[in-house]
Amino acid sequence: MGQSAEFDAIVVGAGPAGATAAYHLAKRGFNVLLVERGRGAGSKQVFGGRIYAEPLREVFDDLDKAPIHRWVRRERFTILDGDRELTLDFRAGASTSFTAYLTQFTQWIAQKAVDAGAVLADEVRVDGLWLDGGRVRGIVAGPDRVAARVVIVAEGVNRLLLERAGFVHRASPRELALGVKEVIKLDKKTIEERFGLEEGEGLAWVLLGEVTDFIPGGAFVYTNRDTLSVGLVVHLGGAYQLLRDQVHVLAERLRTHPRLSRFFEGGDIMEYSAHMTIEDSVGYMPEHFAYDGMVIVGDAAGLLLNTGLTIRGVDYAAYSGYLAAKGVERALSEGDASAEALRRHYEVPLRESFIYRDLMRHRGASYAMKNPRMFREYPRVALDTLEEIYTLGRETPLPHEALARALSRNRVGFAEFALRMLKVVMSL
Amino acid sequence: MSQAQEPPRRKLLRIDDLLQRNVYDVDQRPHIILHAEKCEECEYKPCLRACPAECYVEVGGRVIFSYEGCLECGTCRVVCPHDAVEWDYPVSGRGVYYRFS
Repeated sequence: MGQSAEFDAIVVGAGPAGATAAYHLAKRGFNVLLVERGRGAGSKQVFGGRIYAEPLREVFDDLDKAPIHRWVRRERFTILDGDRELTLDFRAGASTSFTAYLTQFTQWIAQKAVDAGAVLADEVRVDGLWLDGGRVRGIVAGPDRVAARVVIVAEGVNRLLLERAGFVHRASPRELALGVKEVIKLDKKTIEERFGLEEGEGLAWVLLGEVTDFIPGGAFVYTNRDTLSVGLVVHLGGAYQLLRDQVHVLAERLRTHPRLSRFFEGGDIMEYSAHMTIEDSVGYMPEHFAYDGMVIVGDAAGLLLNTGLTIRGVDYAAYSGYLAAKGVERALSEGDASAEALRRHYEVPLRESFIYRDLMRHRGASYAMKNPRMFREYPRVALDTLEEIYTLGRETPLPHEALARALSRNRVGFAEFALRMLKVVMSL
Repeated sequence: MSQAQEPPRRKLLRIDDLLQRNVYDVDQRPHIILHAEKCEECEYKPCLRACPAECYVEVGGRVIFSYEGCLECGTCRVVCPHDAVEWDYPVSGRGVYYRFS
């Protein structure tokens, strides 16, 4: 890159947040450098498997041309414990999300950025933010310093640059989780038959219990066009004491589980990937989303919502990139890239958006999910209650007797249970 | 109480067999440096179980690290209680190349 003229904006990281910010700024005529450490955009991207579409319709006017695999209509939630299984199977009246490979979807956005005139510099690792008296002036990559009026930090969940520069605290295991996944090849017809799907229709499946060895986290299955994304997420906060096996052993147990293996039977594993994800979004957020000469978007800004039933991060990332582009445009057109201006034009709209509002409204759920009992005792209470109700000898228990027995078997007090359930319901 | 016969459990793949599904362009220089002397005082050694690529193994009480199969998730740096992991991304587009994730 060498010593070059100043860019209007440098975007660090061509993920969904960064590539979207680059696209919208380039489209508005700004001189944008999009820096990506991977070989081409997308090559370092990993997610669970689904993207919510509605916010993206405002961001991309041709979303239907994106590399969409299946529109999700079927939602499944399962608690597994040995040969016992409780499943909620819901077919929605309409689909608001689709499955995809994030590698492909990100490439699609980055190509739009390039077509709009952004310069994509891939295979470039950014080593640091170029700081000048607390103001971000550009980036440092190897021997080069590149200047920009604004730097958009989209470095993802693993915030090496923001940590090094002291903008955020050191990542704590309590705030993060590790996700691993296997992508399993099967033909389209087989997928549709096995999961009871109409042609082109998709399924999203969340599983709890034995599949994470009852430690906080959950497993997932998403149907792609002709593959399945199968994996699990374990909270890192409890990993020290609770994780008895290596994480890939849990992934393999999931794939080979006697109650699940028939879904994956005969499929080749095409890829095995891992990525961290945010567990405590509000705790992970930086104090501000904008500083002198810099804005923060996507995972790096802590923008990911995991309610236990639904997980969304990619639409938040892209939408925050879009808000950042609009904010940077206003700030630059006023000739003012100060923290104050960038906060007024980006941070305030972000805090007023559905993203920040929902993250704050759901913060109770992330506290609930840090409680190991939610993943150990409570799933078993549900299974034991149903066992009492359905597995009858002579006596037919009343529903409250069934619940009381299940609670006492798992040493959960009724008051604790009632309070916890109330909290969960309130947080939803 | 009669129970339906469960199908036999299938064999779990070992980590090498999983990693071999991936495309890598491994750099000659490691992007992560482990200061293994700090591991000796470590009680839990969370890296051994939390690393999804099994880059950390314990041999005779010592933690041995290899970077070649690294999936670049960053978990080891976060879970290490002794700050023994000097972590960076690979340079020049090296490392893992995801295609379907």
